[in-house]
Amino acid sequence: MATDLSTAPARDEGSPARVASPTIHRRRLRPSKVALVGSLAVVGLVMLFPALWVLTTAFAPRTEQASGAIIPAALSLYNFHFLFSLPANEYPVLRWLENSIGVSAVAAVAVATIDSLAAFALARLNFRGQKVMFYIVISSLMVPFIAILLPLYLEFSKLGLLNTYGALILPYTSNAFGIFLLYQFFRAVPQELQDAAVADGATRFDLWRKIFLPLSLSITVTLALLTFMNVYNDFFWPLVSTSSASMRTITVGIELTTVGQYTTNYTALMALTVFSVIPMLLAFVFAQRRLVEGISFAGITG
Amino acid sequence: MSLLEQVGPGAAPGSGGPAVVARVARASSRRRLRQDLASYLFLSPYLLAFLVFTVVPVGFGIYVSLHKWSEVSGDQGFVGLGNYAALLSGKGYYGSEFFESMANTLIFVVISVPFLWAIPTILAYLVSRAPAKPLWRMLFFYPAVFSATAFSTVWSYLLATNGGSVNTLFHVNVQWLTSLPEAWISLDVATIWATMGFNFIIMYAGVTQVPKSTMEAAELDGAGAWARLRRVVLPQLRPVSVVVVVISTIASFNLFAQSLIMTGGGPGTSTTTISMAIYQEAFNSFNAGTATAMAFLLAIVLAVIALAQYRFALRRS
Repeated sequence: MATDLSTAPARDEGSPARVASPTIHRRRLRPSKVALVGSLAVVGLVMLFPALWVLTTAFAPRTEQASGAIIPAALSLYNFHFLFSLPANEYPVLRWLENSIGVSAVAAVAVATIDSLAAFALARLNFRGQKVMFYIVISSLMVPFIAILLPLYLEFSKLGLLNTYGALILPYTSNAFGIFLLYQFFRAVPQELQDAAVADGATRFDLWRKIFLPLSLSITVTLALLTFMNVYNDFFWPLVSTSSASMRTITVGIELTTVGQYTTNYTALMALTVFSVIPMLLAFVFAQRRLVEGISFAGITG
Repeated sequence: MSLLEQVGPGAAPGSGGPAVVARVARASSRRRLRQDLASYLFLSPYLLAFLVFTVVPVGFGIYVSLHKWSEVSGDQGFVGLGNYAALLSGKGYYGSEFFESMANTLIFVVISVPFLWAIPTILAYLVSRAPAKPLWRMLFFYPAVFSATAFSTVWSYLLATNGGSVNTLFHVNVQWLTSLPEAWISLDVATIWATMGFNFIIMYAGVTQVPKSTMEAAELDGAGAWARLRRVVLPQLRPVSVVVVVISTIASFNLFAQSLIMTGGGPGTSTTTISMAIYQEAFNSFNAGTATAMAFLLAIVLAVIALAQYRFALRRS
């Protein structure tokens, strides 16, 4: 599918379209463009309002408890002070964030490495059982996490690994999505490159380390980033696999705080939400294009 | 592929007598085995993870689902397909819990999936014709930075009956989270707001792959914007649309954090989803056998629906 779409426009983007472009450019200024931008702006504002409300509530001063107002009388960091002064044995907010960042980072690096090695073998090596291995990887994509959540919990309980970082990280390493992403990339690398390296005496590991890993660095980083987001935002598994306040991740922390005794303390809750979003926001600001490319690629290649 | 030919030239045909051929063949088969094992080394980290964190849980899960099982006291005896039968009968405590939570989840899926496809599709088409594309992309995608618990907490505040932003802004007193059908509307609005950005990115990538000349030809033929969307863009977007619909369906079936935080499964149990039922059965009632059977039934439903959607899409194209 990806190929027939990508070959078709190559021909169409030739000279005729380019010659026609000045007229099209003039046409862009029709009133329908104004309507187009206007309707997008309306949707954009609707999308933007919740975040504005969150921000103004989070930065509201102490005297102004959640009033639902969009424009606050003043701004302050009171709610963040309040968050960090909560009892640490029950609400270690900073620790939750550290846990989330650490767990997601380790999982991201582990998944990127494991998937890159596996994709390299499937795409570029030749061995008996390769087809079977390929179908095993495909079949693993069909197991929804909810189906194995409870047995996985029982397994970790048997191993005595509940409420540890191992429990928070390990299950994510069995995710074949990245193998497919990298498999498609590796298949497209010209064979001559590999043949030349082999003729120079490169081992399989050399091929991966010195040719395929560097070539795929960009998409591998994208995979790591998507994995980071996925693990950072996950909720169900960290909820069941941890039990002590100090081992919780930020998503679980938010839930515990929201349904707990601070359930109507909206200013504190919005401050906690804003706080939880910081790493994602940084990833978003610095790697938005990478994320967009990764999601597009994943969606287009199915 | 050719790596094997390069690394191991092996026994060239027609060289030497039968003894030499046999010896060379044995040596080359041993070398081939070594090479196969070396290849499997690259796969082994994934295979190990897959075995321990997917295969074993699936196998163990099947075992547990055939037993009366408690997280506290373990195996309480083999019950065969009893857990499944109780759930599928639709009667009794477990049967009605399963059917009700499944029906609740279906309500959510049926409302959310069309919107999660249609809104991103229309927006992608509009943005592809608009100036300032990065700005729009940012506006529609940014809620993706919120985790499910974060955006659920946000919308719990926005939609709170007392002191909630929406009621304050519009000077109304709607019970967004504690009455029906408002609770469903709230869960859908929050989920669509937060997650449609992913679908928008995918659909937008699809729209940009529609050949420019096709669009221009349609425009010259006098097709309006709506006609071009329906006749030119949508057919081209079919493969991407299927991906988006399947992903959205599976994600919607897994609705959990939103219900847990925004409505608590209420009013009553009317927004208690299948994931919540599994969670409650497993971790509040310590009834692992029933919970696992429920989860497997859900997995089967998901697989059937995803296959049906792909099938449907393939047949029509």
